[in-house]
Amino acid sequence: MKGPVEEPPPFLGAWRRVYAAVVVYLAASIALLYLFARVNSL
Amino acid sequence: MRPADWAVLIASVISVALYGLWRGRRSDSVDRYLRAERTMPWYAMALSIMATQASAITFISTTGQSYVDGMRFVQFYFGLPLAMILISAFAVPAFHRANVYTAYEYLERRFDAKTRALVSLIFLLQRGLAVGVALSAPAIVLSVILGWPDRWTTLIMGAVVVLYTALGGIQAVTWTDFYQMLIMMAGILVALATAVAMLPDGVSFLDAVAIAGAAGRLNAVVTKFDWNDQFNLWSGLLGGTFLMLAYFGCDQSQVQRYLTGKSVTESRLSLLFNGIAKIPMQFVILFTGAMVFVFFTFTEPPVVFQREALEKARADARYAAVAQRFDERFEERKRAAWDLIVARRGGDESLLRERAAHYRAAHARLEGARKEGLNLAREASGDPGLNDTNHIFLTFVTRHMPAGLVGLIMAAIIAAAMSTISAEINSLATVTVIDVYRRHLKKEASDRHYLLASRMATAAWGAYAIMTAQYAKNLGSLIVVVNQLGSLFYGALLGVFVLAFFFRRVGGTAAFAGVLCGQAAVFAAHLFTKTAFLWYNAIGCVAVVASALLISAAVDRHRG
Repeated sequence: MKGPVEEPPPFLGAWRRVYAAVVVYLAASIALLYLFARVNSL
Repeated sequence: MRPADWAVLIASVISVALYGLWRGRRSDSVDRYLRAERTMPWYAMALSIMATQASAITFISTTGQSYVDGMRFVQFYFGLPLAMILISAFAVPAFHRANVYTAYEYLERRFDAKTRALVSLIFLLQRGLAVGVALSAPAIVLSVILGWPDRWTTLIMGAVVVLYTALGGIQAVTWTDFYQMLIMMAGILVALATAVAMLPDGVSFLDAVAIAGAAGRLNAVVTKFDWNDQFNLWSGLLGGTFLMLAYFGCDQSQVQRYLTGKSVTESRLSLLFNGIAKIPMQFVILFTGAMVFVFFTFTEPPVVFQREALEKARADARYAAVAQRFDERFEERKRAAWDLIVARRGGDESLLRERAAHYRAAHARLEGARKEGLNLAREASGDPGLNDTNHIFLTFVTRHMPAGLVGLIMAAIIAAAMSTISAEINSLATVTVIDVYRRHLKKEASDRHYLLASRMATAAWGAYAIMTAQYAKNLGSLIVVVNQLGSLFYGALLGVFVLAFFFRRVGGTAAFAGVLCGQAAVFAAHLFTKTAFLWYNAIGCVAVVASALLISAAVDRHRG
């Protein structure tokens, strides 16, 4: 698919890096929630 | 509701309406009315997207869900960031480049008029079924809890929404959503703070967390896979991604939010912000439900939270014995909770685990007594499907929260309902005018004519929502069926957009037939299997793509 002219994001320089940051954020959120559930499971 | 609560609630509703009218005052062309001339900043679209998704019943029932089943519902949102990335990368630039008013208009550019018409029809059917229920569901709960006449609640709420949406268009919808989302966030944070602050002396925040954890209410991540369980890590990541792709990528009530962005960047940022903010937001809502659970560990809850059903159960001769057992077991669980707190502070790990097991056993006995009460209420009210989950949070709010704050929570719930309904009638009107009226009925007319048609379609969909909401109470458990029916259509919608973006060789006829095959596959899964609803989107999407590819290949071979 031919894409439009890419505007750069306002941070991190490229959209690919922004998307990677969101994936890292998701992984960190799941890990934190998993730890939260484990620590408080008694 | 005390005078202070009424003052907060009325001020909130009036200010939302006035703000919407002011923001939408310059909607004097079709482009301004339906697309805000593509001038919206990312933060307004982001909060509008979040507000549209957060309906009143989600607000009310998510906290109740956490009370009865813990926090595992949060996993439902694990697919959201992934879906936001995919939509940002593929759908947003395609829609912006095509300069469309609706997602379905894009399908005609890519395929043909019949595919656009079929998908528009599916959307109108699905959203048309849901809009009355979205209006009536909170009114029914408020009528039971507060005694408000549900017909007046739906009429007033609906009339206010229709007023600012019909006059102000998308600008009014987006900016009131923004404002309503702030009210919702304030409401849930206040509810959480109040639930913690109202714990008895001697119970700290960490004690409350330990009690909720011991009762299994903080089970935010479940790693065990089960096809029939909607709320585990894997169904959230995979099934959730498909659902969120379908909802945010193909449902005009969401697509219209980010079609108003002043650039591809602004639209992408709004979606990515939604992907990032939603998990912590749902965590806070669910954690509030867990804290309400702890609150009712020390303050006795009613045997059944549904007031009308409880009254009917009380008239039964067996109720006194059930209530007495419930009282005794509540006291037993309360003592076990205090023992758990003492053990937690003592720091002896083995004693803590022993007390936690003791607390869980006491909790299970109390649940047994509650189940007896619930069964009695079901029998007395003649409703075997009676479920009081949606009444738990509002019982806490109306019976235990201080004056003024009750009004804020009610304002948050009504804001959640209004933001969803305004987006729905706005998008239904847009599809009606752009994809049906302008495309098939009146192809050449002035901008002024289509603007008037858009306002009239908005008012007509609003009137339809109010009218269907008047009868929704009589539907009873059919409300659940109508909601489930809605989710039967998303997979096919997603499938046709996947074809449009990624399979350039597939033409209109194959796509059209693919949608029909995908829809048939989802109906078959619904009728003949016990597959969880979350998977229907994946089934429908895969079936559309596979059948369209097969048909396309067959057509190519035939042509030779």
